[in-house]
Amino acid sequence: MEQPQDSIPKGHNRTRSAVKATRPRSSTKGPLDADDAPLASPLSPQQATRMLPLGLGRPQSPGLRRSGASSPLPRSATQSPAPRRLAPRPKDFSYLLRPEIYHPLTPLNVPPPFRNSPKQPSADTPIPDLLARGQFRAAAIAATQALTGPGAPNPADHVRIFELLYTRLACLTLIDATGLAAQEVKTLEDLNSAYYVDELTGLHLVPWELRVLNVRLQAMGFGDPRRAVMSYYDLAREARVRVAEATARHDNSARELWKDRLADLGIRVAGALVEMDDLTGAAHHLASLRDREDGKLAMSKALLWLHLGDVESARRCVRTEKAGEKAERIVAALCDMADGEYEAALGKWRELREVSDDEMVGVNMGVCLLYVGKMQEGRALLEGLVDAGRSSHTLLFNLTTMYELCTERARTLKMKLSEKVAAMDESPNGWEKANADFKL
Amino acid sequence: MSHQRYPSHDAVKEPHMVSLKVLRLSRPSLVAQYPLQPPPSRSTAHHRPPPIPASLAYSPDAADNGSTTSHHSSNPSPFILSPIVNLPPSFGSAYVGETFSCTLCANHDITPLVPSDGLTKTTNLLPTTPQVSKTIRDVRIEAEMKTPNSPTVTRLALHPDEQKPAADTLAPGETLQRVVNFDLKEEGNHVLAVTVSYYEATDVSGRVRTFRKLYQFICKASLVVRTKPGPLTVGSKGARRWVLEAQLENCSEDAMQLERVGLEVERGLVYRDCNSWGSTGGKPVLHPGEVEQVCFVVEEEKDGEDGGVEETDGKVVFGVLGIGWRTEMGNRGFLSTGKLGTRHVKPKVAVS
Repeated sequence: MEQPQDSIPKGHNRTRSAVKATRPRSSTKGPLDADDAPLASPLSPQQATRMLPLGLGRPQSPGLRRSGASSPLPRSATQSPAPRRLAPRPKDFSYLLRPEIYHPLTPLNVPPPFRNSPKQPSADTPIPDLLARGQFRAAAIAATQALTGPGAPNPADHVRIFELLYTRLACLTLIDATGLAAQEVKTLEDLNSAYYVDELTGLHLVPWELRVLNVRLQAMGFGDPRRAVMSYYDLAREARVRVAEATARHDNSARELWKDRLADLGIRVAGALVEMDDLTGAAHHLASLRDREDGKLAMSKALLWLHLGDVESARRCVRTEKAGEKAERIVAALCDMADGEYEAALGKWRELREVSDDEMVGVNMGVCLLYVGKMQEGRALLEGLVDAGRSSHTLLFNLTTMYELCTERARTLKMKLSEKVAAMDESPNGWEKANADFKL
Repeated sequence: MSHQRYPSHDAVKEPHMVSLKVLRLSRPSLVAQYPLQPPPSRSTAHHRPPPIPASLAYSPDAADNGSTTSHHSSNPSPFILSPIVNLPPSFGSAYVGETFSCTLCANHDITPLVPSDGLTKTTNLLPTTPQVSKTIRDVRIEAEMKTPNSPTVTRLALHPDEQKPAADTLAPGETLQRVVNFDLKEEGNHVLAVTVSYYEATDVSGRVRTFRKLYQFICKASLVVRTKPGPLTVGSKGARRWVLEAQLENCSEDAMQLERVGLEVERGLVYRDCNSWGSTGGKPVLHPGEVEQVCFVVEEEKDGEDGGVEETDGKVVFGVLGIGWRTEMGNRGFLSTGKLGTRHVKPKVAVS
C-alpha cells in the first residue's frame, strides 16, 4: 500500500508544523497487536472483540475510565493533581485547508438545460440550502471554498472543518465523482490515529458520519477493498463500547443511537463484501445478523441471492422470514424476471402498481414491458413517471436506453428529457443531473 | 457487438424511412446504492436521521413521506443492493450454454421537419419534397444466426408472433419490436443478420424497400469440463462399478452458481451422486478461474434380464454429463458433454 505520508506535499511547509510533529504514522496494526488508542482500552483483550459478529450482541462491560464521557471539562481537569499533562495544545487541522487537495469540478458534464438554468444557485447560497435543493455539485464547490477560501475556519475548529469535509465528500459521491472523493479522502490518513482523539474526553473528534464514509472511500482510494471490512469492524468495536457506556448511565436515547449505528455497520460490511464480489461471504455475513423486524434484512438477503443467481434461495428467504407482504410480492416479481418469465413478472408488477406509488415498481414494470416486446408501453410508463416528478438515475437511464432503441435520432429525445428534468423543482432527491444520466 | 450495414438491396440511394436498433437482452441488474447520512448537525439529536434521499437508488413511496425507516418502504437501505433494476448497459460477454436474447426494433423515424435546435443537418431532409407524406406499412423483420461450425444459417423465431395484420401501417415515431432467442452452443464468431423490409407508399406510388444489418459477436466458453473415468471394485451383487470424476472450471469473467450436475446414463447402468450439495442446498459458487470437482459412481444394473450394459470393442459408454448453472440475476446456462465412457473394462465376472 502506498505510504500515506507521501500524499502530503512537503515543499512549502517551512513552519514548524505541529501536524507532522504530532501526527503519528498510519498504524499498521494486525489483530494481535496491542492497541494503544484510548478508545479501545475498555475492551480487553482486543482480539476477542475484534471479529465478533456485528449483531447486537450482549453489551460489553462499560468503560471504567469515562463513566460520564460527555462531562469532563478543562475546568475540572485543572483541579486534578497533574495539571501540566491536561492542558493539551489545540489540534491543528490546517492540512485539510490546503486548496491543492481539492479537485476542480467541471460543469462540462452537466447538460446545458441544467447548466444554463435560472435555478442554478448564486455563489453565496448557504450550503444547507444547496443540499435541500439537491444542488450537490454546487454544494461540493461551496464546501471547498468554505474550507480554503478567505473565510476558512480556524485550523483548530475541527467541528466546522469536518462538517465541511463531510459535505464535500458526500456531495462528490452524489454527483458520480466518487473517484475524486476517494482521492481527496486520503488526506485524512489514518482516522484510528490518536491525533483524532480528544485527549481530555477520549472522544473521537471526527463525526461518525464522516468516519463511516471514510471507510468506503479510503478503501477505494488505496485500492484495498478488504480494508473496508476491517475498518467497519474497528468502528463496530467502538460502537459496542458506546452502547455499553450508554447502558451503564441509563441513557436510553444514546444507547438506541449507538445500537442503530452498530446495526448499520453490520449491513455495510455486507455491502463491502458485495463490492469485493465476495457474494457468498456477504450471504454468510447477512445470515449472522439479527433481524430488526422491519423486513429489511429479509429483503437484503433476497436481493443478494438474486444477484448471485440463486432464485430458489431468494424465494425461500422472503417466505420463511418476516419480510412483509409487499416485500414478498416484490421479490416474487424479481424472481420471475430472474427466471426469464417476464410475462409473469409483468403481471405482478402491474398488480403492485395498482396499490403502490413506488417509483421502483413503475420502473421495473417498464423494464419488463421492454422484455416482452411492448417497449412503446414501457416508454410511455417511464415518461409518465418523469412527468410525475420522479428522476432517479435508474429511471433516466432506462428511459434513455429506450430512446436509443426507438429512433436513430435519440439525441433529440434525450435533450428534451434533460430539459424536462431541469424544469423540475429543486428537491433533496437531487436536481442537477449529469450527461451520463441521459447517455449524452 | 459490432455491426455493419449490408449494402442496400435497392438501387435507390435515398435514406431509409425505417431504422433498425437492437439491444441484447441479458438479465436486468439490481441497482447498487450507497446510502449517506445527512451532514452532522450541531444539535445532538439522539436518533439517526433518514439517509439523504439522493443517495438512494430511487425515491421512496410517496405514501411514506420520505421516511425510509418506514415499515412500508421497499428499499432495504442501508444495504447496497436495491430492488430497482437497470436495463443491460452493454452487450457484455456471450458464453456457450447461455441463451442469447436480443430485441430488434424497426422504427418509423420521424424526419424533423422543423429543426428543433437549429443543428439538424439539412441533408437528413429529402431535398426536393420535404413535406411529402409517406406511409410505411407491411414492415417485416427477419433474423438469422450464422454460427461458426454450421454451413447454413438458422432462421430465428420472432416474439411476439406476427400478430399485426400485414397491411398495418407504422405511424411516424412508432416502433415494431420483436425479440429473438438463440441457444449458444458453439465457440467463436456468430453473426446475427437482420433484414427489414417495408412498403413505402406515397399518394401516387409505392415501393418495397429492404435493408439488412449484420451484428457480429464472439461466443466464448464459460465452463470447461474435464472428466476421468476409473474402475472400482465389483459391487455387492457382482455388478461392475466405475467412478467418474469431473472437474468443472469456470473460465468466464463472472461468478456462477452450479445448479445441478447430473448423469444421463445409458440403458443397463445406474449411478450414484457423491456430491452432497445436490439436494441439501449450499450450491457451489465458482468465481472466475475456480474449479469444482464432482464425482459419480456408475454401476451395472444387475436386476435386469439382459444383465448389464452393452460393450463395443471393449468400451463401456456411461452416458452424458449435464451441467446447469446460474449467473448474475438468475441468467441460466446449461451444457452437456459428449458421450463419456471408459476402455478400462474389467472382464465380466463369471457368475458362479
